Amino acid sequence: MLRAQLASTLLRARPAATRVAPVFARPSSSAHGQETFESFTERYVNFFQSAQDLFEVQRGLNNCFAHDLVPAPAVIEAAVRAARRVNDYATAVRVFEGIKEKVENKQQYQAYLDELKPLREELGINIREELYSS
Amino acid sequence: MQALRLARPRLPLRPASRAFAAAASSVHGGAPAASSSASPVIPLSNVEAMWERLSADEQLVIHQQLEELQKKDWKSLSIDEKKAAYYVAFGPHGPRAPTNPPGTVPKVILGVTGLVVTATVLFYSIRATAPPPPKTLSKEWEEASNERALEQKINPIHGISSEGYSGPGFVTHK
Repeated sequence: MLRAQLASTLLRARPAATRVAPVFARPSSSAHGQETFESFTERYVNFFQSAQDLFEVQRGLNNCFAHDLVPAPAVIEAAVRAARRVNDYATAVRVFEGIKEKVENKQQYQAYLDELKPLREELGINIREELYSS
Repeated sequence: MQALRLARPRLPLRPASRAFAAAASSVHGGAPAASSSASPVIPLSNVEAMWERLSADEQLVIHQQLEELQKKDWKSLSIDEKKAAYYVAFGPHGPRAPTNPPGTVPKVILGVTGLVVTATVLFYSIRATAPPPPKTLSKEWEEASNERALEQKINPIHGISSEGYSGPGFVTHK
């Protein structure tokens, strides 16, 4: 008798469980975050301008060239100047090799080379073809 | 390890231009890569050829030489120094070594072609020396088999002797 009373008081004492739906799941939405080419360019130009060592520059290059696009000449210029800042000639050459891999055809590659010719002459960068042509 | 410890402090003190004069003279003198403990200068003109044969210490010395070199204005670097810098960083050695030695693809194509030709020749030469097929495989024999089957009313429900049968019967020839 006593035990039953005790049990009932204990049961009553328990606060009513106010069940709130957990917010583990993000509400579904059809809007995907889409970075525009311009903001991508701006992001990587800023990244390369602030990169302080070779590891950072090469990490940025790996990320930058991993997208389904060819980085804009502004990004390339920032990357090459970053390579100059960290004193790594090979990385600067490698950037141009990366462009060659990313572009669709030889004309596009040539257009990049023409666009960046002043930069290459300013810094004294030979592309890989020039290094190994002789 | 001893060589490494010796090489490290000495290298930054040495001006790069003098190091390269020494490197050039050692090339012309015909002396190959000098041991790193005696003189920590290794000619950069032919790094591609000798990189694999250099010891870890000598490779470290080259790395340090190139690091010093690349701090200069890049326009003042010679093409050999540029090539050495590129090769050491991104050349086909270590993890970038090609999986197959050059000439593997033609070898594979040639081998596969040879095997296919051999198999074809073997197939037709064995068939050429085979005995003729048995006489029961001729069209006449098969048609005669059909006639005999109809005579004997073979398989009268679903088969050759059934009503309205239009199949080939025993005939396998076109």
